[in-house]
Amino acid sequence: MDLDKVLLEGENLLQPWTVSTSRPEENRSDVVVARENLHAAVEAIKDAGWGYLTAITGLDCPAPAVAEGEPAPEGNLELLYHFCNGLAVVTLRVSLPYGDPTLPSVCDLLPYATLYERELIELFGVRIQNTPDTSRLVLPDDWPDGIYPLRKAFTGFAAPATEEKE
Amino acid sequence: MPTQEQNQKFIVPIGPQHPALKEPGHFEFTVDGEIVTAASVRLGYVHRGIEKGTEDRTWTQNVYLLERICGICSHVHVTAYVVAVEQLAKVQAPPRAEAIRTIVAELERIHSHMLWLGVAAHEGGFDSLFMYSWRDRETVMDILETISGNRVHYSANILGGVKFDIDDQKRDFILKGLEFLEERTNHYMKIVTTDETFLGRTRNIGTMTKEQAIELGAVGPTARASGVTIDIRDSAPYSAYKTFPVNVITDETGDLLARFVVRIKELLESYRLIREILDHMPEGELAARIPRRIPAGETIHRVEAPRGELFYYVKSGGGDKPERIKVRTPSLCNWSSVINFAVGHKLADMPMILAGIDPCFSCNDRLIKIRRANQSQVWTWEDLRLHGIEYYR
Amino acid sequence: MDMAVKTPSSPMQKVMDGLRAWARINSPWVIHYNSGSCNGCDIEILATLTPRYDLERFGVKLQGSPRHADVLIATGPVTRQSRERLLRIYEQMPDPKFVVAVGSCGLSGGVFHGCYNIVGSIDEVLPVSAYIPGCPPRPEAIIQGVVALLQSLKPQ
Ligand code: SF4
Repeated sequence: MDLDKVLLEGENLLQPWTVSTSRPEENRSDVVVARENLHAAVEAIKDAGWGYLTAITGLDCPAPAVAEGEPAPEGNLELLYHFCNGLAVVTLRVSLPYGDPTLPSVCDLLPYATLYERELIELFGVRIQNTPDTSRLVLPDDWPDGIYPLRKAFTGFAAPATEEKE
Repeated sequence: MPTQEQNQKFIVPIGPQHPALKEPGHFEFTVDGEIVTAASVRLGYVHRGIEKGTEDRTWTQNVYLLERICGICSHVHVTAYVVAVEQLAKVQAPPRAEAIRTIVAELERIHSHMLWLGVAAHEGGFDSLFMYSWRDRETVMDILETISGNRVHYSANILGGVKFDIDDQKRDFILKGLEFLEERTNHYMKIVTTDETFLGRTRNIGTMTKEQAIELGAVGPTARASGVTIDIRDSAPYSAYKTFPVNVITDETGDLLARFVVRIKELLESYRLIREILDHMPEGELAARIPRRIPAGETIHRVEAPRGELFYYVKSGGGDKPERIKVRTPSLCNWSSVINFAVGHKLADMPMILAGIDPCFSCNDRLIKIRRANQSQVWTWEDLRLHGIEYYR
Repeated sequence: MDMAVKTPSSPMQKVMDGLRAWARINSPWVIHYNSGSCNGCDIEILATLTPRYDLERFGVKLQGSPRHADVLIATGPVTRQSRERLLRIYEQMPDPKFVVAVGSCGLSGGVFHGCYNIVGSIDEVLPVSAYIPGCPPRPEAIIQGVVALLQSLKPQ
């Protein structure tokens, strides 16, 4: 199968919402979309039957350190929706500012995304609107609220939080 | 065993005391009489924080950490990781290394499928099949130990290649073992497809149609048993699968029986593949040199684990440690499919249905729970299993 | 845990204690709990029960309820979430009870040492009587560990 054609097909589907496109590797295409268009973009891919959602990767991109006195720029969370079709992978990239990490759910389109979304909520503190289930998935019951272990700012607990219970 | 009244809340809190399931699992099933009306999952008893852990270990240390995500499919995890890192470093592993990787991957698939066959049979109360398949599984464990030196974590991969060679002596040992395994596998095939009691618990049970499988995002043998032709070895071939193509095994019926049949046929396919690679072993080096610092960039690598598609995303910032590694294990996909399609099935079928997807909790460190409307009652996994066996008595 | 040291009060008591120790050594019931392991240790424990190794020939029986168990075989590093459960299982077991830690992870946290969701090794949570190292230990090693534990229970 022609890899290039498949990728191109995916890119064309996303055309109306694309902010920018790049080809980091020969089988991959990165498509940046704005978060308000994410749902529509996913819907287009789903309706065309182009591949399937393989995973959602969360990335934490803290702002680069700045010199003393300057206002610190705000960091970003970046979410990567990977769609695979054979060898081809199209990644939808959405960027969310720390201050307002909200995003629409795609579970109404792809019901199996629920576990991925629950993971993002817990590990990155993304707020996903209208996701069917927001209960804890992987973190322990006594995990403190507001600590998101996969953010770069989290570097572990000083002492094990459960120590004094013995 | 607890009585079953309507509107009871059954919680199957932990599988840990269950000898065959091996891992803690927490399911919540809502049931009406005998029929499951909703299911949900709570994972996390074996959540260790590996993805974060990778960020403070070097590229080489991570080989050993990632191998220990799962003891059953350890080799594929590392394969996915090292190939991704090699892609970033623009290093190509020598062909002989790729062939050896693939042989070990297929041996691992054999060990994993036989393990599953035993565990799934045990869930249905077929303990002699459990014991037989585990006895025969020792043959493949012996092979793995002979070629690698360890029974479970083989550490076959290093960045850039593999650690050990397969010489003629080892080759003969593998071939001899495969002969025995092939004979036993044909025997299992006969039992699984002809034994009436067995068929009573598997035929037309837990059926997932092709549409459902796609809709719910099932992967691996679970999806292939429903007629979905996805196998990363075939659709996105990597390593030696490029030169030695696999035949994708599918079945149309999508019931539990089909899941047994698909996995057993995959065993036979693995034997064929290993023989073919052994017959055409490329000569050459075992490993290529790889820099200590990996150039900045991000990449994705997908491999076919015994349980389905395994996805790795690796991002490097140019240092001696990765910036982010994301692992999406096949069991996670299959969990989301099973919690959706458990609805409408009998509670008595749950042990077999859950075992049918070959769940691997530690892969995802996740946990499952089961619920009925308002009253609360606690069942252990063992109770649920016995309930299933009693029900079909 | 102290049956070998206890001085029996009457001859009858002595006979009963001897009998109890004999029964315990010859048929210990075992419960297995995975507190966060990678499964490697667990499949090897399961392998010890299957025909090639057959731990049951020592009278060892793996079963499901902590209330019937004499020995707890624990694998893996202890995660935050499973710590409570591990303690609860231990508390439910009748005295005297023994803990066997299996695998490098159970001994020290192993490769997972320092991950955010790990509390530590098993002996940071429970008193451990026997340690079986290896990643994973071979089934023979597990059998040897269990048998060594049983030997140590023999009244002198
Ligand atoms: S000791 Fe090794 S095999 Fe055992 S749980 Fe730890 S990593 Fe897995």
